[in-house]
Amino acid sequence: MDALANNLQVLFQGLALGSIYALVALGFVLIIRATNVVNFAQGDFAMLGAYMMVAFLVGVGFSYWLSFVLALLGMGVFGLIFNYGVYYPLRHRGFLPVIISTLGASIFLQNTVLAIFGAQPKRLDNVIAGGIQIGSVFLDSQYLVILAVTMVMVAFQFFFFEHTMLGKKLQATSQDKDMARLLGIPVALMIAITFVYSSALGGLAGVLVGPVLFVSIGMGSIIALKAFAATIIGGFGDVKGAIVGGLFIGVIESFAAFYISVPYKDAYAFLMLFLVLVFRPQGFFGERVSEKA
Amino acid sequence: MRVSFWSAAVAGAFASLFALSAAADSIRIGLISEITGPNAEAGSYTLNGARLAVDAINKKGGILGKQIELVIEDNQSTNPGTVLAFSKLGGNTDIPAIIGPIRSTQIQAASPTIQKAGIPVMIGGTDPSLTHVNNPWVFRCRPNDTFSSRVIADFGVSKLKLKKWAIVHSTDAFGSGGQKALTDALKTLGIEPVLIQGYTNNSQDFTPVVLAIKKSGADVIGTYMTNSQDLGIFAKQLRQLGVTATWVGSPSIVTDTAMKLAGDALHGTYGIADFNPDANAEAKTFATAYRAKYNLEPDVYSSWAYDALNVVATAMNTAKSSKPDDVRKAILGLKNWKGVEGNYTFDENGDGLRGYNIVKNDGGKVRFVEHIDITK
Repeated sequence: MDALANNLQVLFQGLALGSIYALVALGFVLIIRATNVVNFAQGDFAMLGAYMMVAFLVGVGFSYWLSFVLALLGMGVFGLIFNYGVYYPLRHRGFLPVIISTLGASIFLQNTVLAIFGAQPKRLDNVIAGGIQIGSVFLDSQYLVILAVTMVMVAFQFFFFEHTMLGKKLQATSQDKDMARLLGIPVALMIAITFVYSSALGGLAGVLVGPVLFVSIGMGSIIALKAFAATIIGGFGDVKGAIVGGLFIGVIESFAAFYISVPYKDAYAFLMLFLVLVFRPQGFFGERVSEKA
Repeated sequence: MRVSFWSAAVAGAFASLFALSAAADSIRIGLISEITGPNAEAGSYTLNGARLAVDAINKKGGILGKQIELVIEDNQSTNPGTVLAFSKLGGNTDIPAIIGPIRSTQIQAASPTIQKAGIPVMIGGTDPSLTHVNNPWVFRCRPNDTFSSRVIADFGVSKLKLKKWAIVHSTDAFGSGGQKALTDALKTLGIEPVLIQGYTNNSQDFTPVVLAIKKSGADVIGTYMTNSQDLGIFAKQLRQLGVTATWVGSPSIVTDTAMKLAGDALHGTYGIADFNPDANAEAKTFATAYRAKYNLEPDVYSSWAYDALNVVATAMNTAKSSKPDDVRKAILGLKNWKGVEGNYTFDENGDGLRGYNIVKNDGGKVRFVEHIDITK
């Protein structure tokens, strides 16, 4: 019984952290699909979102939900600025300059936040205090919220991309920009929308995980590394893959830490990445691509 | 906040212009700390402490009649950054002494560079080996982990009468060093820990660690944890999963940040602290000045740097020289010099302190319990 409880506890923690990886990985994937570029500032979107939450909730003293909405809106606006400041000027220059531009943005963001908020990590309280105790298993309320929100976001994402005109336009843009342009889809606008959405999504991940990991300058980089591994494991640029990859990494590292060794916890994600690259280079859901246009 | 950032930048630019013209009248002391990167919060406290010391020393006439000017170098919270910073400041002949970092792993990495520079370097890292590698230029302004672990073990076993120990430690140089020392200290008291559990810094989840503690049936946990975020997450999960064992932690458990982050999850825990504002008269004076200047609670990151600068100043003023050899001799000659962290007597290895304060987190307030000095 005790062993079962322990396993359930470990599974729960793994799924919850995996959800956060999944949310950030989703942001990665959307931008990869729209622009063919990995956004290395994706983790910092989470960090920035969490700090916006702290600013509104603790700094200004707004209510939780008002702060929440403002933080996400703020992140949306930030995504637009990011699009026009970091991506747009370099859009015709191939992927390398853009990647370096996102790396630069990441460093800039971390140090700007450091200058504004100072170096001391901030505390955010759970949305709902406490948690649920079942036998010797404790389900932290914040982890439950994270799981629930991730599920809602996955459903929303599916509905949005498959069943709305805007979603379909976004998909068309990501599949073939020239064709999309010929069909009269405003490609630049679609990419801008992708950045706005990815930024808000990253911000959401940050706001959700803030109470668990605390809000610190480095929080984004830690999550982004795992999320990036999740992106590749799931299939580079695949939406389903990002979600499954995120959950997979969360659960694997949680169990491996419990059963094998805690100090090597961070290594398991990358061991998995290595194994997947060797045995299934296209990832779980990726298509085998023989040539890239 | 933004305003203070820019005004600081402008002030900094003017200060460096001014420094060029005033170089002859000032004595330049290096300070290498984590100004940016994941440990930047600790670095900002170190800077606070150092600046407070500089103000106080300068007001009393400075060093050898010259005003101190701090030359601050950022190590970006990394080992390579630290090595780079030491070669930069160490190659600068008008810098006679450096206040180094507080992280053991960074000092370990920079030790050869420090030796090459050949000037006194004050360190805050507590890994015992740092002062035992035949490097004559390293001086420690904190008690090392052989003392911290002996104090933790002595307090837990003799005072609290607890025998089933679990040790939780970061796997960096500080954490592993502390773990070894605590295991040894317990062994001399006839106790074999029921669990020794490491983790890497910036762990997002401590569930496996907590479950291992639960399984071990430990009644006391001794910890060597480096980052306050890790400590906060561990504390929360420990209490959530129903572990009620007594906790005696290394100094990070009573830092202002850790206590703010973890909140009531840390209530009732014991910590050892090289610094406590109520431990002695010097500490009381320091704490009052620190609160007045920064509106923050002083902690070990600031107090050790404050002492380090004062040791350097005292040694130079005693030696009437800022030559490395003279300063080294003067530091080694300090006997029972009263600092805020206790009484300094440097041994031949460069270790200045041999004792700790035991403190208790009493509902979010740090209460001084007792000072334990280890005298062989």
